[in-house]
Amino acid sequence: MTGAADIGYLDLAVASLLVLAAGLVSMFLQLGLGRRLLLASVRTVVQLLLVGYVLQFVFGQGSWYVVLGMAAVMIVAAARAAIRRPSRTYRGAFRQSFFTLLITGCAVTVTVTTVVIGVDPWFEARYFIPLLGMILGNGLTGISLGLDSLLSDLVDGRHLVEAELAMGATRWEAARPRVQSAVRRGLIPIINSMMVVGLVSLPGMMTGQILAGADPMEAVKYQIVVMFMIAGATSLGTIGITLLAARRLFTTHHQLCLECVHDQES
Amino acid sequence: MPNLLEVRDLAVKAGARTLLSDFNLDLATGEIVALRGPSGTGKTTLLRTLALLQDPAAGSLQFQGEDPDQLGYPTWRHHCCYTAQVPAIFPGTVHENLTRPFAYHGRTDQYPADRARTMLNTLLLEDITPDQDADRLSVGQQQRLALVRTLILDPAVLLLDEPTSALDPDSATALEDLVRQEIDRRQAAALVITHDPNRTNRWCDRIINLKGQPA
Repeated sequence: MTGAADIGYLDLAVASLLVLAAGLVSMFLQLGLGRRLLLASVRTVVQLLLVGYVLQFVFGQGSWYVVLGMAAVMIVAAARAAIRRPSRTYRGAFRQSFFTLLITGCAVTVTVTTVVIGVDPWFEARYFIPLLGMILGNGLTGISLGLDSLLSDLVDGRHLVEAELAMGATRWEAARPRVQSAVRRGLIPIINSMMVVGLVSLPGMMTGQILAGADPMEAVKYQIVVMFMIAGATSLGTIGITLLAARRLFTTHHQLCLECVHDQES
Repeated sequence: MPNLLEVRDLAVKAGARTLLSDFNLDLATGEIVALRGPSGTGKTTLLRTLALLQDPAAGSLQFQGEDPDQLGYPTWRHHCCYTAQVPAIFPGTVHENLTRPFAYHGRTDQYPADRARTMLNTLLLEDITPDQDADRLSVGQQQRLALVRTLILDPAVLLLDEPTSALDPDSATALEDLVRQEIDRRQAAALVITHDPNRTNRWCDRIINLKGQPA
């Protein structure tokens, strides 16, 4: 087989029977998941079809400003999603999340397209957009987990942080163990997936390439690049956001300043 | 006696509310001064402000003639050390809790293990071992552990928020005697929030009564 088998709309309808079966089981067991499953399925179809049309348009254009425009929309959406997941947030979190994802996402994607894959031009939509998407998807998870951990440590452990400051610690000395713990937490998903990749699951991109008819070894090479790219970007993003947040939440007088932190509904 | 701490026209706030204004204080070497007043008059906020864990709303502070900007905020807190009423105990052992502040500025080798042991014994904590989990100590034991952790840092000004609130009378007396001994030995000073008039008269040189601001 050299190419992907065509999937018609009838095939998609058949695939939807699988979700329907899950819905029926949910109703039978009174799990109350029917409506959410239906909504999730409809959203999946609508969102992916829309993305399909957008990608068709962007790939067809080939202009750098169309690609970068779409990248900007993706970064804004990822930055927003990243700060909405933690149970708390703070004023200025979106700005910090946006800049972190902008810098790490673009730096790593451009490095991969130009240096590793050698795409010309570097903004070739077929490479740039999916790679950036994978980086942002994983990066926002790292940022969310890192921020959640840092804010919990600082708010719930406020008396401990202030005890450190009261005994002469600088703001960095007081923040450091909390930042370290936040970065560790943010990196758990990517490190876990790197540890078991190929043993427990075949990554989605690699599976997609193989299903689309690519040589498995080519798909593996791409997947290794992708895993390293995601690990690098997620690490830099998580470290970046936790350092920026710590800088925001401590004053230059080495005081903990939590007035700008507030709870949010998950 | 020379002044260690000079406070002029200080105002302190909790959020938008001014709890205290035009507060003046000269704290001389060798003094233990009691801070008293009804709840909500700003005693804790005053101590936190003197430790610069929050900025004053107005007024000036000087430690031995230097203001916080000249001295640097972490250095100020090293000299004027605040110990909260609810003891701040870090996850880990008694030893890890006692040595933790010595890690700041890389001073771990200066931790005075023998002195810490002697102080723990003086505070009737002979049974506590360094490798014991500090989280599992009683609140009263944790309160004394937190005080020892402060004392071995040799601050010039102790800012103590109800240091005997969780202690039985014998332990409270032992703690007061230890603080007095350390103040005399090192020519330091202490500002202490306390409520018990009998205890206050026993170990404090003078009393400041805070009346607070109308809400």
